Amino acid sequence: MTNMQKIERDIGITDTKISARNVNVHYGATHAIKDVNVDIADKTVTAFIGPSGCGKSTFLRCMNRMNDTIDICRVTGKIELDGRDINAKSVDPVQLRAQVGMVFQKPNPFPKSIYDNIAYGPRIHGLAKSKADLDEIVEKALRRGAIWDEVKDRLDQPGTGLSGGQQQRLCIARAVATEPEVLLMDEPCSALDPIATSQVEELIDELKQNYSVVIVTHSMQQAARVSQKTAFFHLGTLVEFGDTSQIFTNPTDPRTESYITGRIG
Amino acid sequence: MGPERQHIVSSYDRELEGIQAMVMRMGGLVEVALSEATTALKTRDLELAEKVRKGDRVVDELNQAIKADAARLLALRAPAAVDLRTVLSVMEISSYLERCGDYAKNIAKRTMAMAGSNEIEGAMSGLVRMAKFVEAMVKDALDAYIQRDQEKAEEIIERDLEADQIYNTLFRSLLTHMMEDPRNIAAGMHLHFIAKNIERVGDHATGIAEQTIYLVSGVLPDDDRPKQDRTLTTLQEGDV
Amino acid sequence: MTDTAHPSGPSGKKNTADIVAASLKRRRRKQARLQWIGLGAISIAFVMLFILVASLLSTGWHAFTQTHLTLDVYVDPEEIREEKLPRGGFDDALGASLGAILPDADMEDRKTRKAVEGILSNGAQFELRDLVEADPSLIGQTITMTVPVSDPYDQLNKGLIKRDTPEENRRVKDREIAWFDALKEQGAISKPFNWALFTNADSRFPELAGLKGALVGSFWALLTCFLVSFPLGIGAAIYLEEFAPKNKLSDFIEVNINNLAAVPSVVFGLLALAVFIGWFGLPRSAPFVGGLTLALMTMPTIIIATRAALKAVPPSIREAALGIGASKQQMIFHHVLPLAAPGILTGTIIGLAQALGETAPLLLIGMNAFITSAASSPFESATALPTQIFIWADSPERGFVSRTSAAILVLLGFLVMMNAIAIYLRQKFERKW
Repeated sequence: MTNMQKIERDIGITDTKISARNVNVHYGATHAIKDVNVDIADKTVTAFIGPSGCGKSTFLRCMNRMNDTIDICRVTGKIELDGRDINAKSVDPVQLRAQVGMVFQKPNPFPKSIYDNIAYGPRIHGLAKSKADLDEIVEKALRRGAIWDEVKDRLDQPGTGLSGGQQQRLCIARAVATEPEVLLMDEPCSALDPIATSQVEELIDELKQNYSVVIVTHSMQQAARVSQKTAFFHLGTLVEFGDTSQIFTNPTDPRTESYITGRIG
Repeated sequence: MGPERQHIVSSYDRELEGIQAMVMRMGGLVEVALSEATTALKTRDLELAEKVRKGDRVVDELNQAIKADAARLLALRAPAAVDLRTVLSVMEISSYLERCGDYAKNIAKRTMAMAGSNEIEGAMSGLVRMAKFVEAMVKDALDAYIQRDQEKAEEIIERDLEADQIYNTLFRSLLTHMMEDPRNIAAGMHLHFIAKNIERVGDHATGIAEQTIYLVSGVLPDDDRPKQDRTLTTLQEGDV
Repeated sequence: MTDTAHPSGPSGKKNTADIVAASLKRRRRKQARLQWIGLGAISIAFVMLFILVASLLSTGWHAFTQTHLTLDVYVDPEEIREEKLPRGGFDDALGASLGAILPDADMEDRKTRKAVEGILSNGAQFELRDLVEADPSLIGQTITMTVPVSDPYDQLNKGLIKRDTPEENRRVKDREIAWFDALKEQGAISKPFNWALFTNADSRFPELAGLKGALVGSFWALLTCFLVSFPLGIGAAIYLEEFAPKNKLSDFIEVNINNLAAVPSVVFGLLALAVFIGWFGLPRSAPFVGGLTLALMTMPTIIIATRAALKAVPPSIREAALGIGASKQQMIFHHVLPLAAPGILTGTIIGLAQALGETAPLLLIGMNAFITSAASSPFESATALPTQIFIWADSPERGFVSRTSAAILVLLGFLVMMNAIAIYLRQKFERKW
């Protein structure tokens, strides 16, 4: 833990944004997530690590109810965003997803212009009152996505024509265009080269000023680089959750140790 | 935990084992050097002293090789958790051993310098006793490291108190000898430096033990153990 | 350490490269054989297609031209009276004018007069009647007309009636051939492109028969078919693909839609006859009913094509839309449908092309009636292209043989065009991501 984080914690800047209690997920007969309890802090990057199929992505998708789109998926337990149960009947997933943005593994820009990619979210949610308003939102989102300088002269060109790293930053810009409070990232760099990965990591570091970021990653080095908190999932359970520096130098659970040191676990 | 489980990448295991084997070899060399330096001192064997002096080069080279391998391992494997602690402790221990080697060399050089000077009765036996004691500390510290034995390591830290006490006694004894007969001063000074060197080796053995504790528990013990080196005050009150 | 399993390296009995080299020849031979079989299959298919098109062309190309006779007609006030219009002896006027320029044609002889009048198509007198009726001042004047000749003379001109056939087996007698040759010498005979094939409706007389009625009927039927099957098919496909829960019922529906696509078309015809005409009392022979019937057949094709196109839209795009907070409906209409559109349109066009060529159900609902005018609405009786072909193929007159082929060529032309559009759409829009 760096001194800065110690100070932040001592004066209580980092309060809980999302709190999950006894979350269980079933895919048909498969018990994918078993009794997970975790508190995601605000303005912090939280990394979920663990071997493939350990349920980290599934759990991530619980937080904006993307699992609703899968017929056979059943989620129980309580997930609260700012103290409000997101699975309550009164919460529409559309509203929730405007609050909890998501970036996916593969860059997935719409086959539309760069401008329309960013403007889509604000448009469907009615966030812009005028064209000038929308222009401003688009520019702000692209700046936050650290891609404005690269695309400002070609906003009318298709987003699919950008390079992989640019596409992923465009997708991040698209996700932040609706001003979410939490940003979920599902292996955002797995399809990118090291340079693009660094750019996205730099971006994540900047985003944590304003958002609570949760990132699922297969790269433990990436988790170590970008996150302040790390959660290790194994076979559907949350094995260990703690400060990233502690997890990576001195994990308490032998399963965490085996996994992060690359031993058969 | 630790070595009973193998890495998925077996070459990683081999590299970690290789670097630790080098440290062990270095530890063995340093133990021998210390023991031979003590023998040379006791028996005034200049040939043996010369051998110890020359032998230190190998220890220095090993230290450099270990540092290079550790750097490569850090860069290429990005070790975490116990692996990271292994590499870090190996680097530390290697430095400690390298300095222990230097002290052995220094003892050998002083042995050569003392050739033909007065013999101080009684001081030598105390010195040899202290040397044996500290040698055992180094050996046990290395054993504790190999066995990842935290208890043994903690016990070594305790033993350092005793080493310090022996040094204090020696210090007073040498002081007395030098005050009794100024002809003893040259030999006394050399012997004192030798005693100090041996005391430092004991400190390094403690350092090795601390690294063992860090390797096993992930926590470096706080450096607040009571110091037993009382020579600072002795000088002021010891104007007997 | 693990130094147990070493590959048996170069010390092994035989090198891998040698073993592979030994089998290479056999592998290459097998591959070459496979290629030759494939090539052979394609060649056979192409030869068949070539024979089909060649035979159609060889018989059909005659129908694309029509022998015409240019004639100065004296509109005899004796025969044609203004007050009696539109009745009058138009055939006599034409016959008289023609007889005047023919050698050795004794117009007093009834038989000869009949033969002379037979040179001209039966439609010629109606053409003259229409001209005079439109402008009665023509009565008493001489006007120049170009009119089609009757079928036997058209056949003679195109060489389909051989002059060396014995006279008794020939439809055109020696005297008539002499007349025709005389006309030809005078330069009165011409053979222009047969626009009438497209602008005339059906007729008993091959030289007058055209496809206009069939084209219009097919157009109305396809329009009805498209308007019914396209929205219904896409709606059903969207529901099944995006909303329907995956359970036994939806599986059952899916199986049955696939079955529906394979049901013989004649069954649909019987269904339409019973339901649309029997119960709902819709008119027989109407393209509207034909279109509804074809829609029943096209719908499964469109549903299947649309579902495939929807399925082909990458899930990442759906997730992207949902992740931003789009509702399911917004996701479908803003992202999935536009991306699936080329596939949907391709499937629809191919389905419509199938419908265009469908004959059996149309026969059952009576779209093979003999109708001499083009339908002006989908509720009037009409024929369609395939049923027109069916009617002509059944007609005894020699002239209809080539017309049938010509009609088939026109139908094939439309099918090729529609498939080409489908391919064009696919090529142009389908590689967007």
